[in-house]
Amino acid sequence: MSSKPKQSRAEQQAARQRSQRIGAIVISAMTLISFLCICGVVLSLFLRDSRPISQTPSAQENGRTASLTLASTPDKAELMRTLVDRFNAQQLRTTDRQPMQVQLVELTPDVMIEEALAGPTFQAMSPDSSIWLDQLDRRWSEAQQVEEGAIAPSLVGESVRFAISPVVIAAWEDVARSLGWPDQPTGWQEIQQRAAADPNFRWSHPGANVASGLLATLAEFYAGAGKTRGLTEQDATAQSTLDYVSAVERTVKFYGEGEAAIMQRIRQEGRAFLDAFVVQEHLVVNHNRQNSGDRLVALYPSEGTLWADHPLALLEAGNVTDNQRQTWRALRDFMQSAEAQRIVLESGFRPADLSVSLADSPIAAANGVDASQPQTTLQVPGPAVVDVVQNVWQFTKRKANIFLVVDTSGSMEGEKLAATQAALREFMAQIKGNEERVGLVEFGSTVNNIAPLDALANNRSQIERDIDRLQAYGNTALLDGVRTAYNRLQKLGDAERINAIVVMTDGRENNSLTTLSELQREIQRGNSQGTPVVIFAIAFGEDADYDVLRAIAESSGGQVRQGDLNTIRNLYRLLSSYF
Amino acid sequence: MNRTRVIFIVIIVAALVLVGVAALLRTINSPSSTSLLPEQRGPIQVRVLTALPVYDWVSQAAKQFNAEKHTLEGNTIQVEVISMDGLSALGKFDRDEFGVLPADADLQNLTDAEKASLARFPTAWIPDSRYLPELANVAYKERLGRDVFLTDGEYRARPIALSLFAWGLYQSRADALTAQVGDIDWQAIHDAAINPGGWPALGGQPDWGFFKLVVPNPRKNVGGLAAMVAAAGEYYDKTNIGTAEVTDPAFQRWLGELMGSTTDLGGGSAYTAEDFALFGYSAGDGGQLLEADLLKNMEGIQTRWGEALEIFYPKYVTWFDFPFTIWMGPETSAAEKNAALEFQRFLLSPEVQAQAVGSGLRPVNASVSVDQPNSPFTRWASQGVAPIVSRTDAMRSPDRDVLLALLRWFDLNVGR
Repeated sequence: MSSKPKQSRAEQQAARQRSQRIGAIVISAMTLISFLCICGVVLSLFLRDSRPISQTPSAQENGRTASLTLASTPDKAELMRTLVDRFNAQQLRTTDRQPMQVQLVELTPDVMIEEALAGPTFQAMSPDSSIWLDQLDRRWSEAQQVEEGAIAPSLVGESVRFAISPVVIAAWEDVARSLGWPDQPTGWQEIQQRAAADPNFRWSHPGANVASGLLATLAEFYAGAGKTRGLTEQDATAQSTLDYVSAVERTVKFYGEGEAAIMQRIRQEGRAFLDAFVVQEHLVVNHNRQNSGDRLVALYPSEGTLWADHPLALLEAGNVTDNQRQTWRALRDFMQSAEAQRIVLESGFRPADLSVSLADSPIAAANGVDASQPQTTLQVPGPAVVDVVQNVWQFTKRKANIFLVVDTSGSMEGEKLAATQAALREFMAQIKGNEERVGLVEFGSTVNNIAPLDALANNRSQIERDIDRLQAYGNTALLDGVRTAYNRLQKLGDAERINAIVVMTDGRENNSLTTLSELQREIQRGNSQGTPVVIFAIAFGEDADYDVLRAIAESSGGQVRQGDLNTIRNLYRLLSSYF
Repeated sequence: MNRTRVIFIVIIVAALVLVGVAALLRTINSPSSTSLLPEQRGPIQVRVLTALPVYDWVSQAAKQFNAEKHTLEGNTIQVEVISMDGLSALGKFDRDEFGVLPADADLQNLTDAEKASLARFPTAWIPDSRYLPELANVAYKERLGRDVFLTDGEYRARPIALSLFAWGLYQSRADALTAQVGDIDWQAIHDAAINPGGWPALGGQPDWGFFKLVVPNPRKNVGGLAAMVAAAGEYYDKTNIGTAEVTDPAFQRWLGELMGSTTDLGGGSAYTAEDFALFGYSAGDGGQLLEADLLKNMEGIQTRWGEALEIFYPKYVTWFDFPFTIWMGPETSAAEKNAALEFQRFLLSPEVQAQAVGSGLRPVNASVSVDQPNSPFTRWASQGVAPIVSRTDAMRSPDRDVLLALLRWFDLNVGR
């Protein structure tokens, strides 16, 4: 009986100690869990706010995204990249802590307008001129079917400027002097007359899908209509005007894909390429700053010029989130800030901030430009007349002989051949008149089929049938295909027209009789001694031999492009800028 | 203290230290975000559509107002200023683009879409002139059977600043033209515009080209319509212009000749005075523009082009009064309306009115004068800027039919 209570006390003590240990373990465990919870919460808060800007997909999904896509023109690509990088580096956040970010896409103004009307993938745009914003609003307003006279809706929302640059005729200094600079007024008329009188005079302007090309073309229409202002639709479409414009356009040696392409060729070939060309002033400034050789001089046309005013506009297309508006406002303020305006001036543009003096800036005589110019502008007609001028120009520019050279080797089978056929059909549909001459060369293991070059009035339906019948098989005799087309164009010897070859391929050359170096020599000799032929190559897929394609294209002054959907869709627009 | 308690306290302290360090790191890692953070206690949002000539001043004032953290019933007021030309805003109200609720809407049971659309509804509107909200009222009276902007009572439209239209010509051009034609008025400008000899025939230099008129695009800037109405006033020598006058073929021919001397028939931008400054002589030799816009750009013009503008006041003056107009519909809450009223009072305070003068605007607060030592009115007095305008004939506000007739004429004859 007595040992039982003793045992019971010991057990009770042991039980107490056990329960104390368990209690301590429970408390420690709970503390540890609480601690881990706190750490988890703190860590998640910390990580959420310090997460890189690109890792916020949820914001995109729930409509809170503050990421703004800005479409900008290629002529100011470097400046925009610098400014946008600086803006993004600030790591600004919206009021609900979404990271503000701007993404750039490069588009020419005409493509920008088409995409903006179709439902833009961008929320803001910066074309090279306000003219395009007017056109966009006019077309948008027409699509809304607003009652005449009523207050029209606008797709273009808030718009600001941050950089401007006048369009000028750039000429080598001795050429400028021979045109009368600096003692006499020099302008469009002098250039047009010189080009007409001197077949060796090489001048160029970009296509009318960019501001400088539009201005140069407008100047031709004014001269052709015998007017200095008040150009009407009737004036622009008068046969005498069209004849004059056609004659002037025949003197243009190169159109190029915008000003950037022209400047690249100038850098590569120097004065051997062109005597004079139409570009924005900042490109003259930068050329002279970066090159120690012959100096370019900016001629401000006495009849008047046009300003590339690079508006930065928000689009009110209904897809802009509140946070994107905050990003827009922050970007707008940044672009007008002292820091951004300094960068603008340093890049050769004139800053929109008028308090920034141009004295002691790159806008100086030493760089071939004059800050006090221009004194007068060419009157820009209303959007409807501008539209007519752009479209009429398509019919008055130099006609072309185009050979389509198509790879139908086995590797093209399936989607690639279908994409090529779609591209060719689109290309044919975009050639409006029937005066262009088109031919087709199909190659696989050898040159399989040749549709001779002829005016589309005669062979349009035949070429279209040939495109439908393309079939893929065999090896790739790329060089032989190109050589066939090249020789035919040389044999034709039609220097009045622009001669071009468009090559579409996906593979590596493996079956030609001709070697690359032989073909290159042939092209270089033919282009310098015979008829100049420009070659464009469209490469499909990753297997395409870019080195060979580049060597062929560059020996002719052409380009290589990747055959993605965008290139295919814009193929004729790209090529037409060279014609 | 036993070991368990020590461990417990150590863990708690470690957790607190960790929280503190994380908070510190968080602050360090987002240095630039502070200025954009809102008040966390449910700020009252006030969205103000603001006419272009007062946008810079009003948005600066809004920044100051937001920074000072004004409150209403314990809630901070946050003002957002949205730049919009008066005519564009009127068009949006006309087309109901802001999404007004139907007259029979059940406010207690709004759909998510309706609530989302109301989130961007403007609380107030500062148009260029009081006739614009009156025109909006006409449209809403038809649609809803009531006014949406009031002309009396506490929430009535109140002017916050004034400005009038004046001629601004580059000094060199003004000297040549006044020597040739005398006083600057619409007829003198018209004659200069149609002179086939251009500037050489007007006493100017050959490289100046033709005389180029600066007129805002009426599709983008209500100042363009005001300029056309003012031209009609001088043409008919009267201040009240009706539809019959602006549709008269002889007047339209005369106006067409005048407008044909602008440099950008396509429209250019909405910021005409800024264009005038930015593009210099190449954009135009002179034009009738809002005095505030001219004054705001005078310094820049002098810096960029090396000469200032000469200012002349026309015989018939057109005033813009920039009324602060509060939306009275159920789309905005009572708190938002009262918060807008707070911001309106702030704009009318002497300090902020003095800032308006700095922007070239004339104050409506009688305690503030325009001829302070640093004001642009004093700075540019030598260029013809007058603190007090002696002209007393003011153009009357045009009605909707006159505006639409002029816009239609512009579209068919100039903007095409």
